[in-house]
Amino acid sequence: MAQPPSPPRTGILTVATLLALTGCGGSAISGGQDGQSGSLKIGVIVPLTGPVSATGTALRRGFELGVKKVNDNGGVNGKKVEYVVVDDAGNPATSTQLARKLIQQDQVSMIFGTITGDTAEAVARVADDAKVPFGTAILGDTERCYTYQWGFGETTRQMLTPAVPELLRKYGTKVAIVGSDYNYPHFYAGVAKELVKQAGGSILAEEYSPLGQADWQPVITRMKDAEPDVVLSMVVGADAVTFSQQAKQFGLLTPELGFEGAPLDTDYYPALSALVNGRTHTVRWTDGLDDAESRKFVADYRAAHDFKDPIPEVAGNAYFGVQFLLDAARKAAAFEGPAINTEIGRLTFDSPLGKGTRFESTNHRLQADMLEVTIKPGGAYEVSKKLGPIPDTTPKTGCA
Amino acid sequence: MDVLLAILSLFGLYGLVTLGIAVIFAATRVVNLAQGDLMMVGAYTAAVAAGPAFGWRVVLALVVSAPLLLLIERLLLRRPLADGLATMLVTWGVGMALRQAAELLFTSTSRTVEPPMAGAVTVLTTPYPAYRLACGLIAVAVIGLVLLVAYRTGWGLTLRAIADNATMAALLGTDPRRVRTLAFVLGGLLAVLAGALYSPVLAVNPTMGFSLLVPVFFGLLFSRPGALATAAGAALLIAALSVLLRAWMSDVLAEVLFYLIVIGVAALRSRPWIWRFSSWLSRLLLPARAS
Repeated sequence: MAQPPSPPRTGILTVATLLALTGCGGSAISGGQDGQSGSLKIGVIVPLTGPVSATGTALRRGFELGVKKVNDNGGVNGKKVEYVVVDDAGNPATSTQLARKLIQQDQVSMIFGTITGDTAEAVARVADDAKVPFGTAILGDTERCYTYQWGFGETTRQMLTPAVPELLRKYGTKVAIVGSDYNYPHFYAGVAKELVKQAGGSILAEEYSPLGQADWQPVITRMKDAEPDVVLSMVVGADAVTFSQQAKQFGLLTPELGFEGAPLDTDYYPALSALVNGRTHTVRWTDGLDDAESRKFVADYRAAHDFKDPIPEVAGNAYFGVQFLLDAARKAAAFEGPAINTEIGRLTFDSPLGKGTRFESTNHRLQADMLEVTIKPGGAYEVSKKLGPIPDTTPKTGCA
Repeated sequence: MDVLLAILSLFGLYGLVTLGIAVIFAATRVVNLAQGDLMMVGAYTAAVAAGPAFGWRVVLALVVSAPLLLLIERLLLRRPLADGLATMLVTWGVGMALRQAAELLFTSTSRTVEPPMAGAVTVLTTPYPAYRLACGLIAVAVIGLVLLVAYRTGWGLTLRAIADNATMAALLGTDPRRVRTLAFVLGGLLAVLAGALYSPVLAVNPTMGFSLLVPVFFGLLFSRPGALATAAGAALLIAALSVLLRAWMSDVLAEVLFYLIVIGVAALRSRPWIWRFSSWLSRLLLPARAS
């Protein structure tokens, strides 16, 4: 008779092996530069695994090239900049733990990164408690403002203030809004509705769908019935692709319809190229900028990572954003959080993001230039109009 | 008509994956937590094999996945099968490994697949995307075929016998291990087929199958082990409920109501008086026959 197997032991062993293979043993932590006494250390929290890992990876790459540039130019006050990269997998609970660890164990003077709004908010709370400056590079607005948090990505108002009147002029005044169902798309819709009204348009449909939606037919049918001239979409993640693809198949998304929002971001270009070619999009930075600094960054990024797709905007924001933070650190008397934070609030900084860029004290958002880009076949986000500085001085709870 | 077509399309997707998980559950009494990830494998095969026509890519997905499923069953599931919990954890690990492998190979950025049929067809005055209709119909045909095999062939009879009483089936000369292997491969292939077929209407990414697990689990929960027709019926009811609620109200409210209804039904089903009532009802409707 055959020897009976010992199922529980085999099962547990197999699961343990699989969990180890799949990297579930905790967040990966990697060091940046060699340690050096008295150096300035930054903690980088990004999702390197999970659904938003592609954007997290782009942010990390932009950040690393920004630090390299500063170090190549002699560092900050003669000290090399070090950094520690940790993976929060886009989970706010992990982000909180990692932020605490970076501050308490790694003794970082600044934190940079995060992609989703909930992880940014989680880190901002820890950073505020510990009085450690925290920079983000992703577009959009968090719920509230924190004393130690600084946002380099464009705000909703900076995106929509130039885009909405232009869309209404080109396509018509009837607007439909669609978004994923979480805080930010609702905030985006609130700003959009205000700007559409100011531009003389009307909102015919407003739809939200829970994240992870596989079937958009009911939403698309309702939007089609409203016969909009323009669709503003803040459907994000994989849903942005599913929605746009199904909207095309159902005949909603035609070249005659104005379309603006998240699906036009470079992150989605490889999946949605045929749908977005020829459309215009409002951004803070694009790899199509022709200034010397942007060109060098683009060349370095492509060479370092053998990258052929459009470079995500978040990489540019991180590249120039970390240089801004390090310039503030240079002006601070010591590499201590409160001193650096004060200088960040005071600093004006020239970069391809704009001349004399600075943070608005009432909302801690960067006051910088905006661009209108036209998406060309092959993924070139070419600058079609330089919109100049678009201010957003709307006060936010926590800073106002 | 719009609503009926939407139900057809969603039923095709839910039905294939639910039927697959029900086939595996019937033979092994294990919930395959990797079912959604097997669907992702099918979708990626259709997305990355850019050369051949779409139909061949679907075939390729099935051909490539069959040995993979066989390997998983032989190497990882056969020994711990006596312990249901251990086996379920192994399937969870398999799913996680598949997602991580996809992320390593293709990154987490979503991909799209161009539908093999462009344009719309008119069904009783309602224009509908041609490929969406075609893949819904193909999925329903495959579901019908699997049910036919389950209820009209010797293999189906064996599967149902093992689902009913594996020990008795073994005593009567059936080799349960062979049936379990076949059931795992067939059940997994149904998920792979769903992924490949529906890849042109979904965003193809490593986590695409994970979000599908909830309606599929409810489908399995509402079915009777071994009675595959009840799994297909449950998938149809879940698809219809989801579409109808979303047609009548906003997506957000529809989702809340959807979960309230399905959890309510699941809770009611577990009540003993409901079991007694349904048992009496079935005796009244289908009186026992002498065979």
